Amino acid sequence: MEGFFLNQKLKDMSKIMTVDILSSIKGAKPSDSVNQLFDVIKSANKNTTLNTVLANVVSLDDLRPDEVVESSAIEKQIIKENFPREKNGFLVVAKVIED
Amino acid sequence: MSLVQEKLNLLKQNTHNSVNSLLEGTALAAAKKVDAKIENGQEIGLLEGIPFGIKDVYMLQGTYTTASSDLLKKYKAAYTATAIQKLLDAGAIPLVKENCDSFGHGSSSENTIFGAVKNAINPDLVAGGSSGGSAVNVAKDCTIFSIGGDTGGSIRQPAGYNKIYGFKPTYGRISRYGLMAYASSTDCVGPIAKSIEDVRIVLNVMSGKDPRDQTSYVSEAVSTDLKATQIKTVGYYKNFIENNAISTEIQTDFLATLEKIKAKGIAVKALDFFDADILVSTYYTLAMAETASNLSRLDGTNYGARIEGANLKDTYSITRSENFSEETKRRVVGGNQVLSQGFSDEIYLKAQNLRNQISARFTEDFKDVDIVLSPVTPASPPEIGESLQDPLAMYLSDAYTVGFSLGGLPALTIPKGTSTGIQITADKKKDAEVLQFANFLNEIL
Repeated sequence: MEGFFLNQKLKDMSKIMTVDILSSIKGAKPSDSVNQLFDVIKSANKNTTLNTVLANVVSLDDLRPDEVVESSAIEKQIIKENFPREKNGFLVVAKVIED
Repeated sequence: MSLVQEKLNLLKQNTHNSVNSLLEGTALAAAKKVDAKIENGQEIGLLEGIPFGIKDVYMLQGTYTTASSDLLKKYKAAYTATAIQKLLDAGAIPLVKENCDSFGHGSSSENTIFGAVKNAINPDLVAGGSSGGSAVNVAKDCTIFSIGGDTGGSIRQPAGYNKIYGFKPTYGRISRYGLMAYASSTDCVGPIAKSIEDVRIVLNVMSGKDPRDQTSYVSEAVSTDLKATQIKTVGYYKNFIENNAISTEIQTDFLATLEKIKAKGIAVKALDFFDADILVSTYYTLAMAETASNLSRLDGTNYGARIEGANLKDTYSITRSENFSEETKRRVVGGNQVLSQGFSDEIYLKAQNLRNQISARFTEDFKDVDIVLSPVTPASPPEIGESLQDPLAMYLSDAYTVGFSLGGLPALTIPKGTSTGIQITADKKKDAEVLQFANFLNEIL
């Protein structure tokens, strides 16, 4: 019985892991062209001695202050224009997340 | 005002599909103000009244900012990108939002809802991409300069295909705030223009640290004295030139350029480098992973045109399936593949490791040479329609530009040396040296 549940769980996981679900794109499938690029990476040599080059890391002393910036009236108006739905003065998402 | 009107008239014809939207009203109003200043005898700045174009991935408040996509076809920018704001503050006048590959996904400017951009020199050929519309507008004199975006070559390659200048500065020199993110770790803002001096002026105006982009840094302005090149040694990557993928014409012309440089007493050194397929695969693996993450917000609820489905998840996936182009979907799916559990170690993290190796190699190489030269592309521009049939061939055509993007290095296309130009690269933050050497090459080629 335990084996059955484990199998079922693995099955569910693989269902969750499919790229169409991960990408939120109906019927999406991996592309052969892109897979050929990934094959090159898989067979490339990994340098195990190399120290990570933290090229784009921001220093802790250089973080910007955490502050709330009020949007201008025009900015607020354009955001509302872009937003698909409004209800009682609130911008709303499509539907409440049901599942 | 007459200059702005003249350029607007050219852009209205839109003969090469380079225009997504015109900013006629605001442009004419701004031009009128400049005229008034001149009439009143007031001093005007270097860029004041100069008409320019903007790739349609930059925020400019109140303008449609579509990324050439169905998803954002009706999206209006609520704010203005830092780089663009700096140009506005200097008095430059934006005329046009320019066609490009959707979200920067492409090397031909065919992947767009506004029609494939036609090459400025031969309209049967592609304009290159992704900043194809920007390059064509500059080449056809519809704008004095245009602002492109370069993630893996998207400024340099179309500049080469349309025989103009295109500069990708050192990563972080210009703020990315307000540039729609494709692959944040290599996205760069840069100018496309018809002279090195124009590139220099626009670069200086846009550069600088911006608290809204934590990767931006303080930089010194590139001086007007571009004559004084101190370059003693130039390198080139042997395997870029000695392979079957490069066209014979570009190979011959590139080697002839090296000879002319040698004749001026500059040492030329052949360097070993990573194979082109490693560079391209590393770049695309990381760029796809980053774009899958960056574009996840485009779901018809947070952003974009929504198509209703049976439930929220269905709404997300129908919206994205219908509104993303095939190339964008290919990259988002590829990105999610490499980021998913079980694949990230084997592909994504390994690509990160390769990127670090590539960066380390650049650091070593620039101890030996001051400048690295390469062709911009292995071949001349393909005909419109060809690239869409063969995505892998399109990815591989970026072989000479993506490596420098991974290294965050400054790189400039000049329209000389080969039929698609020469790419000049220097070490990080040595943008001035690149422009100086470009000036020198201009004199000898």
